[in-house]
Amino acid sequence: MTRISIDPITRLEGHGKIEIFLDQQGNVDNCYFQVPELRGFEVFCVGRPAEEMPRLTSRICGVCPEAHHMAAAKALDDLYRVEPPLAGKKLREMFYMAFYVTDHTTHFYALGGPDFVVGPGAPPAERNILGVIAKVGLEIGGQVIATRKRNHQVIEMIGGRTIHPVAALPGGMSQPITEEQRQQIIEIARQNVEFGQFTIQLFHDVVLANTDYVDLITSPGYTQKTYYMGLVDENNHVNFYDGKVRVVDPDGHEFCKYAPGEYTEHIAEHVEPWSYLKFPYLKNVGWKGFVDGKDSGIYCATPLSRLNAADGMATPLAQAEYERMYETLGGKPVHHTLAAHWARVIELQYAAERMLQLAEDPEVADPVVRAIPTATPTEGIGIVEAPRGTLTHHFKTDPDGILTEVNLIVGTTNNNAPIYISIRKAAEALIQNGNVNDGILNMIEMAFRSYDPCLSCATHSLPGQMPLELVVRDNRGAVTHHASQYVPPELLEQFDR
Amino acid sequence: MDDAPYPTIIIGLGNPILSDDGVGWRVVQLVRVAVREAGDERRVVVREACVGGLSLAEMLVGFRRAIVIDAIMTGNDPPGTVSHLALADLPGTLNMASAHDTNLVTALRALRRFGAELPPDDAISIVAVEVQDVWTFSEECTPPVEQAIPGAASLALRVLRGE
Repeated sequence: MTRISIDPITRLEGHGKIEIFLDQQGNVDNCYFQVPELRGFEVFCVGRPAEEMPRLTSRICGVCPEAHHMAAAKALDDLYRVEPPLAGKKLREMFYMAFYVTDHTTHFYALGGPDFVVGPGAPPAERNILGVIAKVGLEIGGQVIATRKRNHQVIEMIGGRTIHPVAALPGGMSQPITEEQRQQIIEIARQNVEFGQFTIQLFHDVVLANTDYVDLITSPGYTQKTYYMGLVDENNHVNFYDGKVRVVDPDGHEFCKYAPGEYTEHIAEHVEPWSYLKFPYLKNVGWKGFVDGKDSGIYCATPLSRLNAADGMATPLAQAEYERMYETLGGKPVHHTLAAHWARVIELQYAAERMLQLAEDPEVADPVVRAIPTATPTEGIGIVEAPRGTLTHHFKTDPDGILTEVNLIVGTTNNNAPIYISIRKAAEALIQNGNVNDGILNMIEMAFRSYDPCLSCATHSLPGQMPLELVVRDNRGAVTHHASQYVPPELLEQFDR
Repeated sequence: MDDAPYPTIIIGLGNPILSDDGVGWRVVQLVRVAVREAGDERRVVVREACVGGLSLAEMLVGFRRAIVIDAIMTGNDPPGTVSHLALADLPGTLNMASAHDTNLVTALRALRRFGAELPPDDAISIVAVEVQDVWTFSEECTPPVEQAIPGAASLALRVLRGE
């Protein structure tokens, strides 16, 4: 049989699709994953005043506006060479912790929960938040909603709006909180700490007590050895808001540690003709293709990566669970992609505890929350940890503060290459000699979700969500298998009873 | 029936800096003016939002009726086509890779299970505008979508009046 050469680039259809090409024997030859491209953000920004960036970048997407708001504000601090007063910094971080509690809670219960609480083998109609509630009880579902609600109150109180905050400015925040508000936040943070403990317990009872789940987490199909990245404080503890970026190698040894302003010395971006999204890698290791291991510059930036890249957590309850995780999973670093769900629960606990620490510090309600910038701007870089990875904002301006260049490396982009490797691994494990195992879409989805990829920026328009779609083609390019997860609304009615 | 201060919420949905994706925001600006001129501000709340799933469902809590104005991309109609859809007309995708919570239909069911007061499904209307570009950063819609804005606002107001 003559092999027909398929040009993968011209064959790829549409966006948000995984296409797997088989060889003559029916085994995986190659696979491609495409996401929609958002065009022209830099062009959109250039010519605008830099101080608009915390509000503009938070509009990039509806999922993590608070992270963009913070990264842009920090880039502006750097741009104007201004140091926010301590109260301003603490207020920003407290605001950010409220966001983290909300985001990690939503991910764990609404996205991760279906995989681990309901179970990967459950039918698609049950693998959603309704299925989670049916399994764990209404009361827990109510707690999830209550957690979102009270933290949205804090986000609005400090950020000025529930979604798309407006409060962070170069040099600090636009307004302080009152002593009364601080007391309210203390109470909310206490409830968050309790909820964090509750979630850890639930994770132990439902996930870790089930050996099938633990076997799944540690299975080879979900294991890859890469470098890991995360922001750390001066004690090398995980920090979401500030610090240096630390990278450890696949053996867990520190590879580099850099200040935000040095990121271009360490990170480069590889381009593939079939992907709009670039593939960042460690410049000083180099791009060696889509392979893991110490010789490959591919790194991960996920909750698990942050824990791997740090020496511990800065708060006691999170630290205790951090130790339990590494003890259970065989020491540091953990290379099991699905352990990101456990890491996310630990980070939820940390965010809650850190929020309480900050709220209990009377200085957070100090009225001086901003230093007025006086320097002439040129260039500024700000980095925070977004829930789904290290987020870098880099702005250049003319002396009047008008933007001339903008570069953003968003959380998920860091993980583009690891996500690709996960897809390929799943494909190779579940497609053999032309036989496509029905579990393949499920397996790829689970790997996907553990990265919590933020690809939703471009998909706000109705139907509003991008269902994962998988196409398998033979060596002639003909479609042999097509799958997408679609659940008709009538199947949801079972949960109303 | 209108004893609650705000029985109806109208939400313009989308990303206002992503070309046609922001059409809901543009439409709702016209709707807001009409609601104000009709003296309906105590009866009708008009909002812009760039959210989905649980956050969108949470915005509807406490209202009896909701009208959501959004971009839609079916590829079946020419860009600028305006339609009135029911919640049941929306496809349900639960296990999506992109969104960070759940879809609106599922979120509404979940909130109702927790006892939240939400408008019934048949009191949630969607005014959808078929779009063509939701990938380019711009505050402008493409020409056919731009031209559809007044018609979409009229449709939303007719839905509001129960016509």
